[in-house]
Amino acid sequence: MKIKHAICSTLVLCAVTLAAAGANTGGGKDAPPPTTAAGASNTAQDDALRFEGEKRFHANCGRCHTAPPKFGRRMMATIIRHMRVRATITDDDMRLILHYMSE
Amino acid sequence: MSKFSRRAGLPAHSSIIFIVLLFGMALHGQSDDESIKPVPILTGSSAYFTQVNGGQAQNTPSISPLLLAPIGDKWLVEAKGYYSDTFGQGNAGTYGGTSDYGLLYAQVDYIASRYVTLSAGRFLTPFGIYGERLLPNWIRPLQLTPLIYGVTSDSALGGMLRGGFTAGSSNVNVNYAVYLSSNNTNHILATDRTAGGRLSFFFPRHRLELGVSFQKLLQEDRAHAIGFHSEWQPERLPLTLRSEYVHQTGTYGGGYWIESVYRLSQIPHLQRLELAGRGQQFFAAQNLTPDEILDVGPLATNTSQADAGLNYYFSRDIRGSASYGRQFVLGQNTNIWVIGITYRFLVPLGPSGGAR
Repeated sequence: MKIKHAICSTLVLCAVTLAAAGANTGGGKDAPPPTTAAGASNTAQDDALRFEGEKRFHANCGRCHTAPPKFGRRMMATIIRHMRVRATITDDDMRLILHYMSE
Repeated sequence: MSKFSRRAGLPAHSSIIFIVLLFGMALHGQSDDESIKPVPILTGSSAYFTQVNGGQAQNTPSISPLLLAPIGDKWLVEAKGYYSDTFGQGNAGTYGGTSDYGLLYAQVDYIASRYVTLSAGRFLTPFGIYGERLLPNWIRPLQLTPLIYGVTSDSALGGMLRGGFTAGSSNVNVNYAVYLSSNNTNHILATDRTAGGRLSFFFPRHRLELGVSFQKLLQEDRAHAIGFHSEWQPERLPLTLRSEYVHQTGTYGGGYWIESVYRLSQIPHLQRLELAGRGQQFFAAQNLTPDEILDVGPLATNTSQADAGLNYYFSRDIRGSASYGRQFVLGQNTNIWVIGITYRFLVPLGPSGGAR
């Protein structure tokens, strides 16, 4: 069974991985380009929040893994909720990192 | 057997049904009154590694999908499974393989307040930092798990209360987790009846974390374990230093590991390369009976090990890894080579939302 079983398992894993990669690429397409909201981020307050968010991101998330790409806001809201539980990120850090990562 | 996975698993069909149910709950439970409505996500990683341990080669393709299903603005259902297939050439020259699959965790989290999150279900035990934070193969700098991983119960079935808050003038973040686990004698979902917790102090300005963990076995020999961990990232260097120490009063002994990871981000053309090294020692419990030696397996022998490895980031999601380790056991020293690749995937199961 063995070699055939191993080859089948490997092929299934490759197929799943490629399918996920394709879906991932497609998933980014539904994020509209920043338009009017991007203008608001130019305020000094927003810059300060972004700076603080980046700092908290590197201090918290960068302890374990490299920086992921920035995702859509709804995706990032899910990820940060997961990391709040997994890495016990404080509520303040969570909000600032969400602001920084979902720009 | 490979060190890549140690856990037993649920029957596959049960896992699939459970995950489908969770996803259904998430789709129907979205809150309409949030400013940012989180979307369910399928994420995780796949990997292919070859390990040569004392001349015996094993190949292990694996996949670990993680479903994140937020419900409203307070709830999160998260379930992570895994499947791996370890195969290699035996002494007789024929190939053999074993499959391993199961559910790493399946838990429901409720954010009760800024400071408290309640979790219930099957979850990773909050002891030290390795199990909860560094276990995914796309995160861990060296693919071989530390020798002391397994000294304490790494999974729990019960309830957990955890959270974090800033103390003083934001100079320190205090993180805590306490839990109670029930005894589960099902051989594929086995958990011990335990209670325990972890308390950590993170100093953001110095990027230093110090923590202590405790676990009490509430069955059999009622042994307890205590652990310490530390993690430090100097601000001016792309360096991470981590360590864990654990001692158990029962049959599992104790030990420590110290790991350093250096990203060559300051050197042109080598910015995607990361160097990792780890030294560790394990001290077996004394006066083990023959039955106990059979029960604890490799943890019945004093062992020292040194590992050095490289990680190369082809992209943010694809990483190639290679490492060499030398294990020192009385009368049986061994070379351990590992080479392979990991891919992290992340798929939104709905509109992912635009930028701000």
